[in-house]
Amino acid sequence: MTTDQSGTTNEDRGLTPADLHDVRFTRASMMRPGYVDSEVDRVLARVAEELGRLYAEKAALRDQVRSLQAQVDGVVMPEAPSEQAVRILSSAQQTADNYVAEAEEFSRQITHDARVEYEEMTREARETAGAILQAAQEAAAKIGPAAPPAGEQNTADLEEQVAYLKAFGQACRTQLRSYLEALLTDIETEWGKADPAALPRGLALPPAPRSTTTFEANTAEENPPETADGAVPAGSGGQRAG
Amino acid sequence: MDIPAMRANFAKAARTGDEAPLYFYSHLFLSHPETRALFPVSMAHQRDRLFAALGDVIARVDDLETLRPILEQLGRDHRKFGTVAAHYPAVGASLLATLEHFDEEWTPELAKSWTEAYDVVATVMIEAAEASAEQPAWWEADVVGHERRTIDVAVLQIRPRARYDYAAGQSVSLETDVRPKLWRYYSPANAPRPDGLMEIHVKARDGGPVSTALVRRVGVGDVLRLGPPVGHLVLREDADRDLLLVAGGLGLAPLKALVDSVARKGPPRRVDLFAGFRTEDQIYDRADLERMVREHPWLTVTFAVSEDKISGLEHGDIGDVVLRHGPWNSREICVAGPAVMVEDTVTRLVGSGVPTHRISSEVFAPSRPGPSVNGEVTE
Repeated sequence: MTTDQSGTTNEDRGLTPADLHDVRFTRASMMRPGYVDSEVDRVLARVAEELGRLYAEKAALRDQVRSLQAQVDGVVMPEAPSEQAVRILSSAQQTADNYVAEAEEFSRQITHDARVEYEEMTREARETAGAILQAAQEAAAKIGPAAPPAGEQNTADLEEQVAYLKAFGQACRTQLRSYLEALLTDIETEWGKADPAALPRGLALPPAPRSTTTFEANTAEENPPETADGAVPAGSGGQRAG
Repeated sequence: MDIPAMRANFAKAARTGDEAPLYFYSHLFLSHPETRALFPVSMAHQRDRLFAALGDVIARVDDLETLRPILEQLGRDHRKFGTVAAHYPAVGASLLATLEHFDEEWTPELAKSWTEAYDVVATVMIEAAEASAEQPAWWEADVVGHERRTIDVAVLQIRPRARYDYAAGQSVSLETDVRPKLWRYYSPANAPRPDGLMEIHVKARDGGPVSTALVRRVGVGDVLRLGPPVGHLVLREDADRDLLLVAGGLGLAPLKALVDSVARKGPPRRVDLFAGFRTEDQIYDRADLERMVREHPWLTVTFAVSEDKISGLEHGDIGDVVLRHGPWNSREICVAGPAVMVEDTVTRLVGSGVPTHRISSEVFAPSRPGPSVNGEVTE
């Protein structure tokens, strides 16, 4: 066998692919064709040994890579995204932003219009009620001194009328409020469509049961004590002047 | 760090308007998809905020001592968004990529300067966040009361599940699951109570996603998340000057908290509260304020309306009404409400001879930085 002259150094630096290419076995003899068994065996033993060493080293390196990887995970940047990917995501984001902005603007307009309408109608209803009341009181004052018994009758009538008007006003307010609530619920749904993440809870939560109680709370709060002049009108819409 | 070069480079990116932040966030989300969940659906307002904040930092980058408290506050406050230390290098890398993308003359030196500067900024923010790590990143609070007071105002009672320290007059940012990742500031309307209950006043702004949800969608049993409090109108502990409080609309909330604070902790002092509304039926918290007047002999509450001809209450802009009851020269004064009202009231008070240093004020503007379509500031 003629591999390398310096067998010992060869052992030290391990077996290289070139070493194997260079292996030349001695022909055995005329009687027994082939290579010399002992030489082949020795080379095989060295190859096996070398492979074992390489496998062990590979395993050690793999462990090392894993532990390093674990250390740098989240710190090391993944490959930078391509310009094209950035452009596509940017335009998708802009599209989403526009949808949300449109939904918000739609909701803003509808709510604003609804509130202005609510305030206007409440104000008109109160003014009308006030005017009727005043006319009735004036009429009562005229009749009053002339015919006392009829006056008493009239007062009773007027009181009934006042009660009726108050109830009427109250009913108007309640109706307006539920109309407005319905509008607002619609807007909520629109918003929910623009933001699907918020949808499931929204749909599972009909506003009706809560609003019933708040109606009472609200009307109690907003309806001032039943004073002599009865109603207090809401101002018209618009920005608070400060 | 070559600061002039960095400023010049930043200016190039800032000049592109929306382009640079758009590029930045797309780059960040593509390289670190997990960061997307930290942001709301619509990124429009977020983009404005990012470059505004960066601009502030760049302007002061050579003055770390001024910058440090701002960054520390930022770092602490970012915990509620779910930001962790590992996100900072990701943001830094995408920031560098963005600045490079919009600069034809990008150099390795510039990259080095930016890396150094970002390291400083990130380190301060991370350290501040870690220093406050014994506090929760956010607090969950149960909604235990929800009362609609007018067509667009609700009063919520919430109870944080863990101890939540704040001072009367401070603001609290909060988030609801109905509008994920949209944080808005509200002022509790009471001083800290032994049972932890907090009263929150909310007015649904037209088209405002969070305020509308808080008034019309959120109810008893829902859970809100609270961020750490930030301070505006905080009374000095040692001061005992008599108080004049002037509220416009929902500016009432922090001022009611100050009244409550005097009631709970003292020191004993006269308190005169003026609350202005457009019309009488918009006075959403009248019953409770009248209860407080009955309970506390040192307190007066005056309501005024500016656009209600029939009301029996005082008429006029609240600043005007306050002056009619003056003089207030010896008082400590807090003003809270819409910008126009605050400005008008403060001007009138200063004009009447009140020293400016005794007036503190808080403008109630929409929480989000994007202007509404007609630029209107609803309270």
